Amino acid sequence: MSKIQYRFKRSTALRFLSHLDQQRLFQRAFRRANINIEYSHGFNPHPRMSFALAMSVGLTSDWEYGEVIVTGELDCNDFMTRMNAVLPNGLEIISAKVCDEGTPSLSSLLEKSYYSLKVKLVPEINFERTNQIIKSYLELPVINIQKRNKKGKMVEKDIRPFIESISVNQEDDKNDPINVKMTLVYIEQQCVKPELVLESVNNLNGAIFIIDPTIECHRHKLLLKADF
Amino acid sequence: MNNYIEKNILPLVTKPITYLGNEVNSVHKTPNKDMIRFAFAFPDTYEVGMSHLGMKILYGLLNEEKDIWCERVFAPWVDMEEQLINNDLTLYGLESMMPLNEYDFVGFTLQYEMSFSNILNMLKLSHIALAAADRKEGDPFVIAGGPCAYNPEPLADFIDLFVIGEGEEVILKIMEAYRQWKKASGKRTDFLKTVAGIEGVYVPSLYKVSYDEATGVIVSFLPIVDEAPKTIHKQFIDDLDSSYFPEKIVVSYIETVHDRVSFEIFRGCGRGCRFCQAGMIYRPTREKTVPTIQSKIRALIEATGYDEVSLSSLSTGDYSEIETLIKNLVEEYEDQKVSISLPSLRIDSLSIDMLEEIQKVRKAGLTLAPEAGTQRMRDVINKGVTEENLLDTVRTAFEKGWGHVKLYFMIGLPGETYEDIEGIADLGQKTVDEYMKIDKELRNKSLKVVLSASSFVPKAFTPFQWMGQNTREEFKNKQRHLKASIKDRKISYSWHDSGVSFLEAVFARGDRRLGKVLKRAHEKGCRFDGWGEYFDIEKWTEAFAETGIDPDFYALRNRGYDEILPWDFIDTGVKKSFLKAEAIKAQEALTTPYCPEKCSNCGIMEFKEGWQCHV
Ligand code: SF4
Repeated sequence: MSKIQYRFKRSTALRFLSHLDQQRLFQRAFRRANINIEYSHGFNPHPRMSFALAMSVGLTSDWEYGEVIVTGELDCNDFMTRMNAVLPNGLEIISAKVCDEGTPSLSSLLEKSYYSLKVKLVPEINFERTNQIIKSYLELPVINIQKRNKKGKMVEKDIRPFIESISVNQEDDKNDPINVKMTLVYIEQQCVKPELVLESVNNLNGAIFIIDPTIECHRHKLLLKADF
Repeated sequence: MNNYIEKNILPLVTKPITYLGNEVNSVHKTPNKDMIRFAFAFPDTYEVGMSHLGMKILYGLLNEEKDIWCERVFAPWVDMEEQLINNDLTLYGLESMMPLNEYDFVGFTLQYEMSFSNILNMLKLSHIALAAADRKEGDPFVIAGGPCAYNPEPLADFIDLFVIGEGEEVILKIMEAYRQWKKASGKRTDFLKTVAGIEGVYVPSLYKVSYDEATGVIVSFLPIVDEAPKTIHKQFIDDLDSSYFPEKIVVSYIETVHDRVSFEIFRGCGRGCRFCQAGMIYRPTREKTVPTIQSKIRALIEATGYDEVSLSSLSTGDYSEIETLIKNLVEEYEDQKVSISLPSLRIDSLSIDMLEEIQKVRKAGLTLAPEAGTQRMRDVINKGVTEENLLDTVRTAFEKGWGHVKLYFMIGLPGETYEDIEGIADLGQKTVDEYMKIDKELRNKSLKVVLSASSFVPKAFTPFQWMGQNTREEFKNKQRHLKASIKDRKISYSWHDSGVSFLEAVFARGDRRLGKVLKRAHEKGCRFDGWGEYFDIEKWTEAFAETGIDPDFYALRNRGYDEILPWDFIDTGVKKSFLKAEAIKAQEALTTPYCPEKCSNCGIMEFKEGWQCHV
């Protein structure tokens, strides 16, 4: 039995997978790759595999982590080659390592996430204005948003601690959506969704960004508290 | 188109990944001008269609041909439909995302009547003329096959040609005819006349039907050109064991209705249940051998990564070597966490032993289909199951720890009385009693017995093809009576019928005059009739009224044995005289034996030279 942690990327072709779809996909890929995975014991055994983060539908990413417990010994290069041979176009394993039983779970190691979003501005707003708004937004010591808690009640939550930086960049073609770069921080495995940050900018300043499902959201990098 | 849709449309709809056609094992080819482009169309949602075995076979078979690219298309869900319309886009084949009206063939599979309105809707979204007569040179040929093609007449206006029976061999002949026709740069009508000569192909535009003005019944049904045969012979494959089956099947990303490898172990059924259309039209029974089944399943699991295999057929327990097969499969897959499921088991305690063998830990709900409540009624429908069989089965199941039993029945069977209805409630009660008899320590802690009753729909090519369906009023009264007859609170009862079964009865035995109704209903926005939330009986009622067609004529009328039925021009191999003899036996509650025990000469042996049942 050994635990394998791996880094992978997801590109446009498969960005519409839901978290569950992706779990199913990996489970089947392990089987096609002839990699035997361990199952939990008990009434309804499930495969012992997980991802550091649940990817939302639409997200593309250069940097994701997953882990799986395989039966027997498996070389990490072998793992990568076999998996990449069976994964569909749109998912690719970048690196993998075999780790000790006691290695902390990936989700407990999350530190920072680097995003880049392509967002359209509402017609009255230009790039310069957006830039100013973001600057003053970042100067706020507290940014409260309304959020539904687990019990379904609306509660206030300060999202400022999760935001490390935001910058906006214009594309060559001024008609293209602008590029918003964001670095968000994990605090006790919690973070905030980048779309929610944009929404709070809108809420404080009037409509700036057009927020709808056609926003393209991409993660460049995911930083862990330990080396990978 | 590809990129635009991906960026601007798909983020706005539910299940966007199902509109991209990039699943594992989907086939992508580089098109050239000689390539035949075939869109296999399933007139229901992706989740339903992707569970369908026939599509997987034909998809594999056609794509084996170098110069054919077969792609898939499903009925887009209502949100996607809205996007297509608002953005002025054409429904497209998933793999290449080419607009459907640019294909050579659009081939619909007809699995149930309630998907007919979806066919019209899909044609409209594809910008293909609805009426076959309105299609021009260069337009796709719209073809159809599947179980509902056995009575193709309600769709006669819209479909260029039908394939009657098992399509594996016929479809390749049609493709060959198309290659020749293209080389010769022939006219549309030339192609249709040529293929009309292929056995198993029906081209509705080459036939004329006349009706008796007073009674509305058919007086003649005749070909209008020499190429079209008077009778269409259904096609079946003699040697199922060596027939084509793909080594790879497309694996959906999202969860589908049957999210597993579904492998057909035999075709046909010799039980001869009189209500069952599949049992008659898929005759004769043909089995695959155990080694073939095992090696194909092995290949499929390797190619897909599925962790469940379902052994499918009309009555899985009737497979001649079922015990060996299960034993072998369990042995092979025990360590690999691949589970085996057995749908459509017969009612006997042997079935429970088999279920135990495959589900060592989990005791999911047990579903059984006695179909009718009294022995007399079960004899009428020739369902060879006794009360003793049923109670033995549930007792064994309760002893082994099952606690949830679902029993399926039909209401509105021929000659049914209120006593037969009460029999359903009785069987539910006796099932509860069996549970009570078992030691508290042994049995499951909780008991749930669900009685589920559906409204019977008489189908073409069955012994009940001549009978009128019960009226909605009769159904309602019977349901009410059944509900009142259930006394025990451990029994729950479910019944849904919003008028769907009436409409199903109209189309299951309809003729080509119904094309007008279908078109009108489509214009009124009918689609997804099989989905409760979209079925609108009001619109259908209006469509009948506005086209001056009486639905009762089709659903409720008792036909005479000598009437020309709209599907009489098709020969399934089971003789009409056999069906009639069965209908008469049904009236006296006389049963007909199971084929392997005694042949009742249904006609299939004379139908195909050299064919011998059960040798
Ligand atoms: S010919 Fe005889 S054995 Fe064969 S299907 Fe018909 S009744 Fe059954």
